[in-house]
Amino acid sequence: MTNKICLTLLIGWLSTACAQSAQPAQAQQMPKGTNTNPDAKQVADFRAKVEAYNTLRADLAKASPPLKETTDAGAIGNAEKSLAAKIRAARANAQRGDIFTPATEALFRRLVRPQVTGSADAADNRAIIKDDGPKPGDVPFKVNGEYPKDAPLSTVPPDVLKALPPLPENLQYRFVGRHLILYCTNGNLIVDYMPNALP
Amino acid sequence: MHTHRLPLAIVALTAVVAASALAQDLTLPNQNDSLKFAVIGDSGTGNADQYRTAKVFIETRQKFLFEFVLMLGDNMYGGESSRDFQNKFERPYKPLLDAGIKFYAALGNHDSPNQRMYKPFNMNGERYYTFRPRPGVRFFALDSNYMDRTQLSWLEKELAASGSDWKIMYFHHPIYSSGGAHGSDTALRDQLEPLFLKHGVDVVLAGHEHFYERLKPQKGIHYFTSGGAGKLRRGDVGGTFTEKAFDQGFHFMVFEIVGDRLHFQAISDLSKTIDSGIIARRQVDTKAAPSVPAAPAAKPVPPQDKVGTPTAKPAPAK
Repeated sequence: MTNKICLTLLIGWLSTACAQSAQPAQAQQMPKGTNTNPDAKQVADFRAKVEAYNTLRADLAKASPPLKETTDAGAIGNAEKSLAAKIRAARANAQRGDIFTPATEALFRRLVRPQVTGSADAADNRAIIKDDGPKPGDVPFKVNGEYPKDAPLSTVPPDVLKALPPLPENLQYRFVGRHLILYCTNGNLIVDYMPNALP
Repeated sequence: MHTHRLPLAIVALTAVVAASALAQDLTLPNQNDSLKFAVIGDSGTGNADQYRTAKVFIETRQKFLFEFVLMLGDNMYGGESSRDFQNKFERPYKPLLDAGIKFYAALGNHDSPNQRMYKPFNMNGERYYTFRPRPGVRFFALDSNYMDRTQLSWLEKELAASGSDWKIMYFHHPIYSSGGAHGSDTALRDQLEPLFLKHGVDVVLAGHEHFYERLKPQKGIHYFTSGGAGKLRRGDVGGTFTEKAFDQGFHFMVFEIVGDRLHFQAISDLSKTIDSGIIARRQVDTKAAPSVPAAPAAKPVPPQDKVGTPTAKPAPAK
């Protein structure tokens, strides 16, 4: 019986120790007496801004030709363009940094850095972002700007996606060189961008 | 009169020889009730190379009635206007589309995510999807450009539900590759391979590298890279992973599943067999994972000819 209790205690201690050691390296040390993620507030702020954009996009999409399955490839392009025009009009005053605020930028640089400098796959991650992405100058950095259809979209390594806050299905993180863009797939446009996201 | 008949006879003889050459090239069993499908990767250039390869591809179907085609990404290089879709997909593969052959596309890094809405790509409006063309065989198309948590969770769930089916994955980026330009996508491998092993994936098909490579089985799984239906990078392949490679011409692949055996054949744009063989289905107890039995290497079928050389040995007549 005593042995069983000892074993249970040992397993419990090991589980706690393992869970602690599995914390992401980038997590900041928590203040004493709290058990919250110190980045949670910033992440929540970012996600609220993303959600606001997504709600706007969904509302505007209701008044646009639907982006739906079709045999007419031209209809896909028309649906994208129509939605993008409405988004541009509704976000005419949008500026760089509205979503990637300075605080979010600082957080994202910290979250991404280990995936491209410290991890076992860091070199591969950097290589695939560079190799698969557009060439410098191919994509104009402009909020509400169209993503050129003849430019490839960078592959985003799974490690990097895991490190960053998740996005709704129609929004994606993509890289252009060292810079990160928030890409709206349905409207094929750049919602915001963040220079020098990669070290 | 005789002078007219002679050229006609030559034409007829040439046609017979051409047809028989094609028949000789086919190493697959070509059985009536088997599942037959084909694979093209990195096809969408719209240039003469794609059209020439497509022509041989279409000719192959005259002898081997594949039911559908898997597209391994980079379906559309450059622009994506209506004209681009016509020039890079609808025109080169028109006879197949007219015959009702379905194409099932995966997305490459040159593809807009909205290709998922293009009905002839049969993606059901999704970046990643699965389909089961007949009982016992399931295909999974992944978006390897953007392997987020949602997609990984979906894959885990779908693989778990796929039971004892043949499990064939296809996506753009190879997780094992001997390519000099790109090579293995190790970060993607870290995410996908444990799921493949746990759930008994049999075969993985990828593009991205503009050559053909059949890799030595990795932890029991058979990997093919087939990214040369419209692009070619000569002199780029070969290394420790390579079982068979070809980077001196364009190519496509044809497959046939007969029970627990998958027969494969890679064919060049010159209609030459560049590789062929048979893969036995893995017997994996997915409930007992992670125990993974080692798969035997693919059993090669002696090709009827070597690349660039005349036919050395006739194929069995079918």
